[in-house]
Amino acid sequence: MTATRKILLALAILALAQTGVLAAMVIDRVRLLTSGREITLPIVPVDPRDLFRGEYVRLGYDVGRVPANLLEGPRPRLNRPFYVVLEKKPDGTWAPIKISRAKPSEASADRIVLKGRSTFGWSSTASPDAVLAVRYGIESYFVPEGQGKRLEVLAREKRMAALIAVDAKGNAAIKGLIVDRALQYEEPLF
Amino acid sequence: MSWYRSKVERDLARWQTAGWVNEAGASAIRADLQSRKSPFGVAPIFAILGAVLFGFAAMSFVASNWTAMSKLARLALLLATLWGCYGAAAVLLQRQLNAFAQAAVLGGIAVYGASIMLIAQMYHMEGNPPDAILMWALGALLAAVLVRSNPALAATFVLLVVWTCWERGLGQAAHWTFLIGWAATAAAAAWLGWRPGLHLAALSLVVWLVPLGFFIFDHHAHWIVVLIGGAVGVAAAGAAPAIDRQVPASAALFAYGLILAFAGLHILQFIDPLMLFGMQQDTDSIQRLVLLAILTLAMLLGAMLWALGADNRAALWLAYAAFALEIFTLYLRTFGTLLNTSLFFLIAAVIVSLLAWVAYRLHQRKVPTGAAA
Repeated sequence: MTATRKILLALAILALAQTGVLAAMVIDRVRLLTSGREITLPIVPVDPRDLFRGEYVRLGYDVGRVPANLLEGPRPRLNRPFYVVLEKKPDGTWAPIKISRAKPSEASADRIVLKGRSTFGWSSTASPDAVLAVRYGIESYFVPEGQGKRLEVLAREKRMAALIAVDAKGNAAIKGLIVDRALQYEEPLF
Repeated sequence: MSWYRSKVERDLARWQTAGWVNEAGASAIRADLQSRKSPFGVAPIFAILGAVLFGFAAMSFVASNWTAMSKLARLALLLATLWGCYGAAAVLLQRQLNAFAQAAVLGGIAVYGASIMLIAQMYHMEGNPPDAILMWALGALLAAVLVRSNPALAATFVLLVVWTCWERGLGQAAHWTFLIGWAATAAAAAWLGWRPGLHLAALSLVVWLVPLGFFIFDHHAHWIVVLIGGAVGVAAAGAAPAIDRQVPASAALFAYGLILAFAGLHILQFIDPLMLFGMQQDTDSIQRLVLLAILTLAMLLGAMLWALGADNRAALWLAYAAFALEIFTLYLRTFGTLLNTSLFFLIAAVIVSLLAWVAYRLHQRKVPTGAAA
């Protein structure tokens, strides 16, 4: 093979590999959105000054504030993944019942496992009855320009909920936003 | 005219008047200088800058409003741009326009990074943001190795540093994983045989090492940075001939060791105590500061002596700059009272003046013997 042919092949491999990574991102997400279990989490207002930032809204959830005393086993490290088990209450809402570093196996219909991270609260000085701010990767929602203010008002009035897809590994993704019990912002797959 | 050429022209005139170089020799040297091409042509620099601007244009896409397009159309646009960049690189390479081809590859890497961010935005992915930077860095490293692209390698080092700083900021941990990515990229730099790439490797490792003390042991383990830097410097100085027989790197290694050791000492003296105790000072902390300051100044003087002897200009200037920074910071800090500070400076001045006198006497003794030999 000549030197030119070799470099052309190298460029083709490079473009294919990078395309592969980007495609894997999309496929993984589409798989999560289509085959993941659906749960609905009510959205609570975040710090109002920070809710609408640029082109995306910050979404807060009740399950994003988890009492640290639900921890079973060793402490998770800062910004490393851990698992939160949610249980469905009789009124249909979900509430955290357990935190653990290893993935728990919860198979029942009224329990679901979410993977989360926390950059606060896992320091060695944190008290056991602290409340952890947990991120599940469903806290940002990019909106069409001009829609941010409306969503901010809806969130403050507690009229919004998020439809979340959760896969077997605990990964969560936003499928859409529910306003006044009707699905309004549904995410197209493609 | 390049800096080198004007310097040689000046020296040549002097050598000709001294009668060491005749007219024929001088014009041959001038002709040789004329025929040499500057390594920094305008065209490649503009091409690289153009690629950087294209990258920024792609990045601002994140901020711009493109919601009118469907997701599929957006994905197609991103991939078409990506393949367009690498296709352009292929065409440019076939036309022997290597610098422009490199610029196109760099543009492709920028589009790849922008695509990661845009896809994450489209699908509301959040996850762990530094992971996206790592994915980008790995794509850049692949480009550097496959296409033998030096700019791509430089981009990889920059991305790795961004990745590790972000991870450290979020995780408040040493982030040892950085070393794996760093080692792979440094190996690629060695394989490409690109000297500035090896400097970037050293620099990015220094950036990772300097704050390491904040994250390990008791979170005040800056002495470890001093030890690593000192060991590198002493090894580079002691084993200089053995190292230089393999690669001429001992001078650079000494300079990087000096930077590390000084940075560690600086944190120990001025930054860490500020975080521990604030501005207040007690006798113990003042004694510690004085001891560390003496150690730092002694180390810098030793480095200067060695750099002078080994004709290591970079290390010499670094040591001068570090000496000035150390003195200036000490002056701002003051040891308790202004009177004690002035006493410290007086003693330091006497010692350095004595050293100057000793160096002068040694020089005097060396010059006649050198002339006789």
